[in-house]
Amino acid sequence: MIKFVDATKVYSNGVVGLRNVTVKIDKGEFVFIIGPSGSGKSTFLKLIMHEEVPTEGEVYVNGYSVHDMPQSEVPYLRRSLGVVFQDFRLLPNKTAYDNVAFAMQIVEATNREIRRQVPLALGLVGLSKKAKAYPNQLSGGEQQRVVLARALVNNPAVLIADEPTGNLDPKTSWEIMNLLEEINQRGTTVIVATHEKSIVDAMKKRVITLEHGEIKSDEQKGSYFNED
Amino acid sequence: MNTERSRVMSRKDHTSMKIRTVKLLVKEGASNVVKNKLMTFASITTIVITLFFLGIILLLAVNITSNIEVMKRDLKITVFLNIDVSPFQREEVITFIDGRKEAGIVSEYVYISKEQMFEDMKQILSNDALMKGLTPENMAESFEIKLTDPVYSEEFIQQLSALSGINKDNGIGYGKEELDKLEAILKVFNYIVMAVLAVLMVVSVFLISNTIRLTVFARRRQIEIMKYVGALDSFIRWPFIVEGLLIGFIGAVLSFLITSQAYSWLQHVLNIVLTNFSLAPLNVLEFGPVALRIFVIYAIFGVIIGGIGSFLSVRKHLNV
Ligand SMILES: Nc1ncnc2c1ncn2[C@@H]1O[C@H](COP(=O)(O)OP(=O)(O)OP(=O)(O)O)[C@@H](O)[C@H]1O
Ligand SMILES: [Mg+2]
Repeated sequence: MIKFVDATKVYSNGVVGLRNVTVKIDKGEFVFIIGPSGSGKSTFLKLIMHEEVPTEGEVYVNGYSVHDMPQSEVPYLRRSLGVVFQDFRLLPNKTAYDNVAFAMQIVEATNREIRRQVPLALGLVGLSKKAKAYPNQLSGGEQQRVVLARALVNNPAVLIADEPTGNLDPKTSWEIMNLLEEINQRGTTVIVATHEKSIVDAMKKRVITLEHGEIKSDEQKGSYFNED
Repeated sequence: MNTERSRVMSRKDHTSMKIRTVKLLVKEGASNVVKNKLMTFASITTIVITLFFLGIILLLAVNITSNIEVMKRDLKITVFLNIDVSPFQREEVITFIDGRKEAGIVSEYVYISKEQMFEDMKQILSNDALMKGLTPENMAESFEIKLTDPVYSEEFIQQLSALSGINKDNGIGYGKEELDKLEAILKVFNYIVMAVLAVLMVVSVFLISNTIRLTVFARRRQIEIMKYVGALDSFIRWPFIVEGLLIGFIGAVLSFLITSQAYSWLQHVLNIVLTNFSLAPLNVLEFGPVALRIFVIYAIFGVIIGGIGSFLSVRKHLNV
């Protein structure tokens, strides 16, 4: 579960990333974070994963007090999260399989666990056949599937995606979004920041709209700019 | 909220690193060494040079100490009796020296009689005019005494000169003070050398930390991913530390090989020179007996320099 209590993030240059945000996301929810560029979507996600800390207020994630946690605990917070970015961030010198396995090596999984989990994760994202391919041999959509497999392989409670379809064509974007929904249906909380108007409108999920760092609306089965 | 924590592996599982993790980290570190060729080469070279200097200094010190020791042990105390010494006085001196010998202070001594001295003089001066009118009676008897350890010399000479048969005007011949002076000079020389060595080490540390910095930058992406996935700080740091340690160790091994070759050659040449100038028993020590000690010192210094270099760099450039 994720809870923001009156959380504000002012960057060191004085720019306000997020202002007095209070919101609660329950376990198992699927949430879109939308809003114009610069409205604070990425800041919201960065606070969840402790890439930034709130300058005021509180942020709770999976039982951790993110606003006030020792640096030594951050890795354990991150292990409870899976993260996906617009720009994939795969290691170019490792195959799809090794990229996913790498995430498990990092958390010191056994070789046996790795051999069992990695094919499962690749299967889940429909990429079993490309396990041996290197990132530059994969399409954008395929690369993002590898990233999803990597984010999921350690079984995180929450999946965070910052514009996961930002570099993909509409058809592929839909495939990725459907995959995210499938992942959500298996019990993982999914939070997606996006600009994909048509997809958000069609999927009828909870939608939190940000503007100038503040929550402008928060609706179940919401849609894009539904006020006008 | 806390129930979700159970999905995350518990902290206690990770307090000690697992063996396969260690293997993985060492492998990563080693591959860094290979990938980062140019800077690695530069770092290894400085380590080789630094350790080579260290080795030369150590070997020089060992040789000088051992040779001074040899010289000291070889020093003879030459003491003359008065020309008109009485048998009783002579006996007193011999008794004293024998007593010291039994006490383990004197290792050996030779008595040179008036006749013996006269023969020796004749040999040296042949039939020179100086020998005219000289008889064995003009000669002084003497003792050549070797001590078991030069530290006894002062006390021994003092006690010896208190005996009445001893000729005090000629003084008691002994070269220890000169050797002591030589040692003092060498000590100063040692300090200068150590200062130079310290500078070299700082340069090595700096170069290694720079090498590691390049690796850190080259691996930005990987480090970032590791952070997102929840790698422990130690897990991210270790490959870089391993890289530094490895550079240090490789440098140590290379430097050792170079040192042993150079030294063996030098030893060979110098010993020929020493023999030809009949400076024996001075000699340059064999490398074999000190090889292990030198290698251990190299390895320790190499690894320490590498470790400090990478540690500094990781602390500065790896914001984990
Ligand atoms: N590291 C930073 N330092 C200073 N200001 C920042 C930093 N990151 C973001 N900001 C500022 O904070 C505000 C919110 O940025 P944020 O990245 O959260 O927006 P966003 O909604 O993700 O935008 P986009 O849709 O373009 O990704 C912006 O004004 C941005 O310029
Ligand atoms: Mg953004």
